[in-house]
Amino acid sequence: MIWVIHVLNGIAIGMLLFLLAAGLSLIFGLMKILNLTHGSFYLVGGYIGLTVMQRTGSFALALLAAAAAIALLGAVIERFVLRRFHLDELPQTLLTFGFLFIFADLSLWIWGGDPVMVRQPRILAGSLPMGDYGYPIYRLFLIAVGLVVAGALWWFQEHTRLGTMLRAGVDDAEIARALGIDVSLLFTLIFAVGAALAALGGVLAAPILSLYPGADFDALILAFVVVIVGGLGSLKGALVGALLVGLLDDFGKAFFPQFALFTVFVPMAFILVVRPTGLFGRR
Amino acid sequence: MTTTKTIPFGMTIAPYAATSLARRRVLRSIATAGAVALTLGAPGLAAQADDTIKIGILLPLSGNFAPNGQQALTGMKMYFDEIGNTAAGHKLELIVEDTQGKPDVGVTKARKEVERDGAQVLTGVVSSGVALAVNDYSRENKVPLVLSGDAGADELTMPGPLTNPYLIRTSQNGRSVSAPAADWAYKKGWRKVTIIGSDYAGGVDTNHAFAQAFCALGGKVIQEQWPPIGTSDFGPYLTNLDRTADAVVTFEPGADGLRFGQQFSEFGLKGKLPVLDIYGTIVYEPNLPQLGDGALGIYSSLFYAAMLKTPENDRFVAELKKRTGNLPSNEGPNGYTGARAIADAITAVKGDLTDTMKFMAALKAVKFPSPKGDLSLDKYGQVIQSMFIREVQKVDGQLANVPIATYANIDQFWPFTEAEFAEYKYSYKELKGSLTDCGKLLAKK
Repeated sequence: MIWVIHVLNGIAIGMLLFLLAAGLSLIFGLMKILNLTHGSFYLVGGYIGLTVMQRTGSFALALLAAAAAIALLGAVIERFVLRRFHLDELPQTLLTFGFLFIFADLSLWIWGGDPVMVRQPRILAGSLPMGDYGYPIYRLFLIAVGLVVAGALWWFQEHTRLGTMLRAGVDDAEIARALGIDVSLLFTLIFAVGAALAALGGVLAAPILSLYPGADFDALILAFVVVIVGGLGSLKGALVGALLVGLLDDFGKAFFPQFALFTVFVPMAFILVVRPTGLFGRR
Repeated sequence: MTTTKTIPFGMTIAPYAATSLARRRVLRSIATAGAVALTLGAPGLAAQADDTIKIGILLPLSGNFAPNGQQALTGMKMYFDEIGNTAAGHKLELIVEDTQGKPDVGVTKARKEVERDGAQVLTGVVSSGVALAVNDYSRENKVPLVLSGDAGADELTMPGPLTNPYLIRTSQNGRSVSAPAADWAYKKGWRKVTIIGSDYAGGVDTNHAFAQAFCALGGKVIQEQWPPIGTSDFGPYLTNLDRTADAVVTFEPGADGLRFGQQFSEFGLKGKLPVLDIYGTIVYEPNLPQLGDGALGIYSSLFYAAMLKTPENDRFVAELKKRTGNLPSNEGPNGYTGARAIADAITAVKGDLTDTMKFMAALKAVKFPSPKGDLSLDKYGQVIQSMFIREVQKVDGQLANVPIATYANIDQFWPFTEAEFAEYKYSYKELKGSLTDCGKLLAKK
């Protein structure tokens, strides 16, 4: 039974990592932007969810509002700032780094420095008895949400016109443009979707991982690890990488506690040695 | 930035530290450059023109420890306002500087306050890292230093290489909060406990003090787990907890405490294993409303309890609530108490601080009832004060830490005498991973 709990737990955390990493990976795949502001999307999204939750008491509304607000924020940043430095990697990375600091300080100013937690919706609170142990219902819900989002993203990419355009854009933006695809609009759209995914991750993580100044950096590092393991630009890679990192982290901490600090980074280093592009990366 | 809650050892901790390294570096270089420019621009010591006494306050007012620093500052100002900012007929001027919780910035600011502004006493701090750095400055330059934020590193006030005749500490030291908790746990009938502590010097020190005192009584630690600072998911550790234990003893400062408390009840452990939270890191006052009823029944140990019913504390709580709208946690009373120690000593020497040793003697002789209870200092300048075991209960519909046991006059070596304490062979630094071994914990030289 204890094994089942460790596996479930690894998957639940993996699903959170997937939400975080999927957006980062999508954005890089299409635009080649290494978006460091992604951490802010996660944290600010979580804080917006917190405020909505406090005002309305509705977790669903908190998720929606955070995703919508951060999607808009992402679209604005892409359209009016990053757009000016298309394919110019250094200025883009520095800009997104700068935004990370600005949003960190703005959040500290607005929401303060004490760690805060979003209350779990009542129906998801509590735990499911499993023999001697209990497993939190909320984490089972996380697994379900992760699967739904992964399925939706896959369907979007494989079976919609927009998804086809996205794949074309990832393969060769210039040719896609020549074929009449509005790559410019696509960029903004995908940037917004990626940002919204991070915000969803922030709100979903808040009831167990809490929100605090610095969570943006923590989330960013984990997202990078996942993307490095899975391969930049690949959704499948983000999913497999996230599950792998989640499980390794859980089992590592449970059975090799003295290596708790490295459970995430050792597999990453190993994969970089064996497959420098990540499990599903191209090039 | 980060934080916090009770960060007793206030080290540069982590959820924050590791991850915002790059940012810190950038900020640090800016800060250092600015400070260097300042000191260069104002050579020489500022003359003490009039009979105003300047007090240099060093606190983390930005960064991860900002909430702790802000509350300590509020506490200090409350006391100085109470006495009209005068002592022995001298006006007291507060010079406030932000250490950002960083040792190098702390020293730069200390130097600025003393050498440029003419501060005659330094006070505040919070982070042990800053305390160790400023301790060196204080000792070399013979500047009185009153640690009144957490800064709990035991070594600062114990005989040894860091001994500083110009230092007193009115906050607390690491081990004095955990040893009474062990006594209380044993008297409650617990004999086997499992320990979870943040993996850094402060965490090891705190849990070691508990384990040693618990072993000396006849109890035993049957399992120790050390999650890294900044652990977000405690799932693996909670699943691993030894269910045969009588209780789980924790020390999880910062955002970790909030997460631990939440996940503990999430995993259905509440009611199965009692929790004894050393330093009240889980039940830190700002956390209580967020943990909700899941926090009910958690025991904790600390040198303060907002619910303490004494005239000093009633007045203190009412005034702090008026100023901040919140109940005090630990730094407010610490700041207030440190301020009073300074003012009392200034009064004792009639405002003449030119003889530093005489002023230090006056500081070490202070004795008064504070919001934390009655306190005095030992010959090393370390506070002797009360410790409280608290339990989270509902008071008027609100969760609060209600004191259920009091240990008066706890000194830094308690329950041992200084001589007994010096006899133990291993220091806490050598005992991480051996807390389940009572023989080693109690081995004599």
